[in-house]
Amino acid sequence: MKLPKRDTGALEYVLTERVVLLVALLAVVLVWFKVLEGGQYLVAPFDAGYLASALESMVPLCLLALAELLVIVSGRGGIDLSVGSVVSLAGMAFGFMVGLWGWPLLPAAVGAVLVGGVLGAVNGFLTAYLRFPPLIATLATYYAYSSIAMVSNDKAPISTKPVQDLSALTDGVKLPLLPAIPLQVFTFLMPCLVIVWLVLTRSTYGRKLYAVGTNDVAATFATLSVPRVRLSAYVGSGLLAGVAAVVTVAQFASARPDAGTVGNGMALPAITIAVLGGVAIQGGIGTVGGVFVAALLVTWLNAGLLLAFEDSKGSQYQLLALGVVLILSALLNTLTLRRYGRIT
Amino acid sequence: MRRPAARAIEGQELALVGVLAVLWLVLGLTTDTFFTAGNLGAILFNVAPIALIGIGMTAVIVTAGIDVSVGSAVAVVMVIVAKLIHDGGTPMPVAVLVALGVGALLGLVNGGLVAYGRIHPIIVTFATLNIFRFVALQIFDGRQVTGIPDTLGFFGGGGEGRLLGVPNAWLLAVVLAAIMWFYMRAWPTGRHLYAIGGDAQAARLAGVRVRRRQLFAYVLTGALVGLAGCVFIGTGGLVIQNAGEGLELQVIAAVVIGGTSIVGGRGTVLGTMLGALLVGTVTSAVTLLGWPSELTTLFVGVFILVAVGVDLLRARRRGTL
Repeated sequence: MKLPKRDTGALEYVLTERVVLLVALLAVVLVWFKVLEGGQYLVAPFDAGYLASALESMVPLCLLALAELLVIVSGRGGIDLSVGSVVSLAGMAFGFMVGLWGWPLLPAAVGAVLVGGVLGAVNGFLTAYLRFPPLIATLATYYAYSSIAMVSNDKAPISTKPVQDLSALTDGVKLPLLPAIPLQVFTFLMPCLVIVWLVLTRSTYGRKLYAVGTNDVAATFATLSVPRVRLSAYVGSGLLAGVAAVVTVAQFASARPDAGTVGNGMALPAITIAVLGGVAIQGGIGTVGGVFVAALLVTWLNAGLLLAFEDSKGSQYQLLALGVVLILSALLNTLTLRRYGRIT
Repeated sequence: MRRPAARAIEGQELALVGVLAVLWLVLGLTTDTFFTAGNLGAILFNVAPIALIGIGMTAVIVTAGIDVSVGSAVAVVMVIVAKLIHDGGTPMPVAVLVALGVGALLGLVNGGLVAYGRIHPIIVTFATLNIFRFVALQIFDGRQVTGIPDTLGFFGGGGEGRLLGVPNAWLLAVVLAAIMWFYMRAWPTGRHLYAIGGDAQAARLAGVRVRRRQLFAYVLTGALVGLAGCVFIGTGGLVIQNAGEGLELQVIAAVVIGGTSIVGGRGTVLGTMLGALLVGTVTSAVTLLGWPSELTTLFVGVFILVAVGVDLLRARRRGTL
């Protein structure tokens, strides 16, 4: 590896401190849409209330981006294409528990998250112990899980009364001086962000995960159990997808068997946000902060685009934006790594 | 160790032929309709687009790349060709050339970003999957294109699109696969694809033009996506907005089931054709047996795991892992 150069202070700072760059981009996006609003180009006001309500769509995406962070950091081509299917299948399990078997909310939610963890463990076992390439293992389980989710209730969504009542979980919270922020941000997203951050930065396990992702041969010589660490990354991914499943069911007020796979699925935006957040696809590099700000950026960019175009045009431009952002951020990651050897 | 006569066919391909034979035997015995000319023709026709794109995808994956954008690329080709025929009354040969050109151009975007932009292929094609879908939706400019005259009958599955009962689209796939098989096995630049997938750095030092070969693999896949688009249009006079969604997964499944290693350096087009046949047979079987069609994806997933698992076991025995 090249030694880091120390010549261009400001540029190096902005490029390697990914959060700083993303916050700057976020400011650009917000100012840009404010200007468009001032010029009467938007179909609705781009105000604080709208931005706050847009956070609802950020919750599942950010959770799945955190899931991708864990598996991509674990290295050896780590990636999880199956997160969307896990959302579908764990969501159906949640629907069965709450809607048909009459379980109380809390045990059912814990059960759904555990289902996600088991599905993630299957991925982890295949990749870490049987040494399947992650792309293939999670492609296969993407197929399998989505199929099981579809046939589990004969293609029908579960939307009985108890499931419909879950929409109470998505109410807004009124805080002083702030617009109503969706409750899920505090009940689901924040705890997960804090837990993943603590695990990655304040625990020995986090050190092990980065070590394994950076160089698994060196990690083996350092007496780390590489397969066990990798397996746990996929279990973590599954658990987070399980949380996203609970959130998604509450948002739809219905457990849909295609919740995470309809259209191009949820894995795609999740991977995009992770890469934009500075997670390097070769492993060992990536932070919770970067992923969080990237999720915020993508969410508000999408929200703005919806207002900037009439009818379905806005969602079409979201596709373009997501693709362009993904390529540019990957190029940026490559350049930064080649020049400075790190992204934080 | 291996006998020269057996060299033309790899172990995984032999195993696939065996699995296919057993499946066909069981299906022939348990259903009355499997071995009818109509059903076999339908399987071959349904498999043709997957096989066509799979030929290019094999080359891409052999170079240790991947292309998940083919589903959206097919949508772009289809909507352009459909509009040309519908609005402009373009004759078939021109429409097919346009399809090839548009497909190759989209492949050029992918290949350029992978080979010269040096971005990871999964990231590039994940991004272009979105961008191509955007382009397709922009051209659609409505919900769908209907009432396309039957000018692509040669590529269709009906009477005009068959030769002695075999769909032309399938014959085309077989011929192209044979050419590709020869190219990758015997032609120097074709062998280079394997060298790049094995170790791109070593290949470059050995004088292989790595970037050019990578670019070629993606452009070829794009051109074949163009052909596959013609086959899809040939089935009916309707092109809808979500055309091609999920196609990339079917193609990758066919390639992987056919024994191509996802980490590059190993695999054959023959295996891909057999893999595509297996996917088509399973789809047909699930329908004939009256099972829910969603079970198809479960079987495909299990087949991928088994195929790759067997391959991993053999690699371990050879000591290359």
